[in-house]
This record gives sequence, structure tokens and C-alpha cells, in this order.
Amino acid sequence: MIVGDLSRQELERRLTGAGLGIQFGPFNLRISSNLPSLASLAHQLYEPYPMVEAVAIIDFHVGIGSPRGLRRWFRRQASFSIDGQSPFAPYTVEHAFPALEWGINWCVATRSHHLLMLHSAGVERNGSAMLFPASPGGGKSTLCTALIHSGWRLMSDEFGLVRPEDGMLLPLPRLIPLKNESIAVIGRFRPEAIIGPSFLGTRKGTVAHVRPPADSIRRMHETARPRWFVFPRWIANAPLLLKPMAKSQAFLMVATNAFNYDVLDETAFRLVADMVRACDCYSLSYSDLDEAIAALDELSRDDG
Amino acid sequence: MDDLSSGKAEAFILTPAARSLRWQDWEDIYIAYQASSAETHFFNETTALILQSLEHGPITLAEAKEWTEAVLGVDRGELAAGDFEFAIERLQELGLIESLDEAIALQ
Repeated sequence: MIVGDLSRQELERRLTGAGLGIQFGPFNLRISSNLPSLASLAHQLYEPYPMVEAVAIIDFHVGIGSPRGLRRWFRRQASFSIDGQSPFAPYTVEHAFPALEWGINWCVATRSHHLLMLHSAGVERNGSAMLFPASPGGGKSTLCTALIHSGWRLMSDEFGLVRPEDGMLLPLPRLIPLKNESIAVIGRFRPEAIIGPSFLGTRKGTVAHVRPPADSIRRMHETARPRWFVFPRWIANAPLLLKPMAKSQAFLMVATNAFNYDVLDETAFRLVADMVRACDCYSLSYSDLDEAIAALDELSRDDG
Repeated sequence: MDDLSSGKAEAFILTPAARSLRWQDWEDIYIAYQASSAETHFFNETTALILQSLEHGPITLAEAKEWTEAVLGVDRGELAAGDFEFAIERLQELGLIESLDEAIALQ
């Protein structure tokens, strides 16, 4: 059963009641909210996601709702909670949905140490994964969104989840939060992309969420073998340049970007070393999405 | 630490932490995981060779430098003494090498 099987009214009833059980890759969440505005957004953007069976173990019980106390009377606010605790200052109620999405990412990043968590986007084709480690201004989300609307499967926009037992990459195909200019860029690049409303003036500027293609969500339990590390950099008017990167440099950038490299100690060292050794590593500077995708498609073809 | 120009012959040895380093080498960069501190180190070839020179037992800094220069294939005395001493100090700070005299005194 998927979220879209529920009517909007039923979804709202669940959100305000026992919670909406939903699967995001390897994680089961139960989401609660007393905000009426959240139900219609969740209904639209979570529509293809599978729901959690009643007997399933829930990894994260999260909520987004009006905080208790006096402050709610001065200004309408929304507070994210996990297991009844609110780790962040409240958000303005208009930003409740992005706050929920950020909060869920925070839960994964701080509580999933059974996996190595790279800070990286990732896409897959023919069982091989291409990872785009995060760097400020690198444009990983824009590139990742363009690729998943061009024949690649989304693994994750934010987390490279590596299973320590075998080094396989686990999908976490959550919504992709595009920021500022990227929203219009993707809107023009793929008008058919499903993009939610723009939230203006958030802590990260204007944010809008892209719903991954249904195929990426349907295959959220299908692992992939890391095959390429590509370190993207969007530079206005720059010509396309895809060039091999030294593995030592790739190791440094991947390890220092991981969410829990220090927590996993030698396991993380071994996993990152194995991945970098097995993957081809490139730096990519680009200004044109079509050119970048063609170059990355070419890598994939050469591999086949 | 004795400097190379003083003529003193203080010997250095690897610590147990250095002997249990997990190594990865790519191009001319050596990456080592130190389990005792849970740190990952990035060494250049010279620093990695200094550690390698100590694998067979205690040697003086002058001997280590000479050995390193021979392995690197550079002329004797070509490695800058200051750079070499900096690398030695850094390895001591990381707890990867120690003075043989100090190690004996602590036993």
C-alpha cells in the first residue's frame, strides 16, 4: 500500500492521530502533525512512497506541530520533534514541511551508525552507482535531479549509505530539496518533474522539493555497487571538463565529508579505502546540464 | 630532539601504534589509519619512508635521513634538514616514533 492509496482526509486523520507510517529506503518512520496544511503537501509529495505495515518496527517517531506554551499565541510556529523531544528552535509555521524534511535527514545523520554515511548524492544505472560527494556550491542536488530525470535511478540526494558487511550502497530516495536558482533551472530542464511549492525565506533561502520518479521509489530496496566518484562543480559559462582525480585526493574528500567517519573508526577507513580503490574518480566542472549528463552517460556506456 | 647538525646520535624507534598502522598508498600519498587514536593520517613519501626506515630497529636521525635519501634516489644531503626534522617532530607528536633512551627510561 502506498501513501497515494489514502484519501487526503484519511491521511490527515492519520497524521493527527497515531501517525503516518512511511518507508524511506531502509528506514521506517511514523510522522505526526497537528498542522492542517501538512496533509495536502504530504499527500502530493509522499504519494508513491510505501506505507509501513502495522507490525513493523519504527526507526524514527517524528512530528511537526505547533509548540506548546505561550509562544504559540504570539506567532504561529512549527516545531520538529523526535521521540517527543524538540532538538531545534521552532520554525515559522509556513516552513513546517521543509523543517520536517530537514529533521528527518538529521535523524538519519545522527542515529544510523550501523551504516557508513557519506555526505553525497548518488544515482544508479545497470547496478553501478555514481556518487557525487557534497561540496559547497557544487550543485550536487541539481545535477542529481537532472540525472534521475534522464534515465538514472536515484539512490539518494543527501546520503551515500554504505553497508559495512559488503560495501553495497543502500538507496534512500527521499524528496530532493532544490534551493534558489536550481528550482527554475530544473523546471526549465525537465518541465515534467514534480516539484512542490517554493518556500521563501527559509534558513537555506528559497526551497522547493522534487519528488523522485516513481521507479526510484519503487526500487528503494535495490542496492548498487559504488563504481564512480564524481566531484561536481557548477561554474557559470564554464566549458565541460571531466578529468580523472587522484585517488588520494578523492579519499580525503570522501572521508572528511562523511557524517560518521569518526564514529565508525577503522571500519570507515576500510570502507572508504575499498570504495575509492574500486571506483574511478573524476572532477567535473560544468555549466550546461545537457553536456554534463552526456559526459556521465558516456562513462556509464564505457563501463558496460 | 637532537638536530641533525649537532652530531649527537640519539636513536629512534617505532611505537606499537606505528607498528599497527593500516596503510593505503596511492600515487605519492600514503594514508594510514592509527587505531590507538582513531585518526587517519596523510603522509608524503618522505614521511612514510622515515617510518619504514625504523621498521628494522632503532636508528639515528642521520641514518634515517641517509636511508630515506637512498630510497628516494636523491643525492646524500639533498633532503633539507629542516624538513626532515619537521617530519620527525610531527611523527613524535602523533605518537608514532619515540626516542629509544626515553622508551627505555619509561620501562
